Amino acid sequence: MRIGAAGEALSDAELVRRAQEGDELALGALVERHQDAAFRVALSLVGDPDLAQDVVQDAFVRAFRALGGFRGDAAFRTWLLTITANAARGTLRKRGRRRESSLDAVAPVASEGVDPEERAVVGDEAARARAMLEKLPEKQRLAVQLRVDEGLSFKEIGEVIGSSEGAARVNYFHGIHRLREWMER
Amino acid sequence: MNVRCETAREMIPDLVGGRLSGSEASRITAHLDTCEACRAEADVLRLLFTSRPGAPAGLALRVRGAVHRDRGSARRPWWGLAAAAVAVLALGIGVASRSTTAARVTVPEFVAEGSGASIWLTDDGMIAGAPALDGLSDEALRALLDELGSGGTGGTA
Repeated sequence: MRIGAAGEALSDAELVRRAQEGDELALGALVERHQDAAFRVALSLVGDPDLAQDVVQDAFVRAFRALGGFRGDAAFRTWLLTITANAARGTLRKRGRRRESSLDAVAPVASEGVDPEERAVVGDEAARARAMLEKLPEKQRLAVQLRVDEGLSFKEIGEVIGSSEGAARVNYFHGIHRLREWMER
Repeated sequence: MNVRCETAREMIPDLVGGRLSGSEASRITAHLDTCEACRAEADVLRLLFTSRPGAPAGLALRVRGAVHRDRGSARRPWWGLAAAAVAVLALGIGVASRSTTAARVTVPEFVAEGSGASIWLTDDGMIAGAPALDGLSDEALRALLDELGSGGTGGTA
């Protein structure tokens, strides 16, 4: 099967297999498919959009260097997001920086099919919800984000944030509980 | 079939993310119609999902370029490696021919201080009141979950 512009028809496992054989198109398709998720994880950890882009670039380079040893025990996306989270923490440590909080310069993903009027009405509330998410402690924030934005299972979230499946679940529900409290104020 | 709050709350993220099949989505939506607490949770999660940030334009191109360069450098021809080996050898001879009483190199202490574990993460958690969960048993985690689930017991549908 031929790879389309973004490899839409192929599964991650197939793209990874082809990438392991040196197929540049498959590599490109994996980048296209997972750049949003990687960027969100990086941004959540470093807080700065420019720095988050550096982290994403570093993470993909590291992931593709190690692709030969990737056996598919975890989903490619979970593996990549774990590498991204580690790269983000490493970047902050290296620079002796703390996470910043500046989502103003980041545009939300375009929500197709949403009425522009409705979008304007919910826009303020959505921005508020996102700002509240920013205030959660790191593991709760990442657990909520990875479950809601990326649809990861609690087991996969545990792999990314470095905890057990049970702890990931508690972090998620604790985060949601606090978000609801804050949003209802 | 009735859906319990516990089940609904686990699946709400997939509902708002459009990741459920038609029948699964119908089951959860029917539950939300009769459960105010779960509906409120779904509203918050929907707001989060619709405002999720996307990668800036041009990032994919930049990443692909970096990956391409990195793979290119990993595939240097044999004469490239040979040249590198000669350079290392020359450097080694140069170092060996220097006085053996050369001054010791001092490593600044702040480097060691900066290499510690992610102290700020702990700090972040402490400021925001994050619980330390990693050392807890499954039983203790379940008890915590029960406690957190108290806001979503609006009934079954």
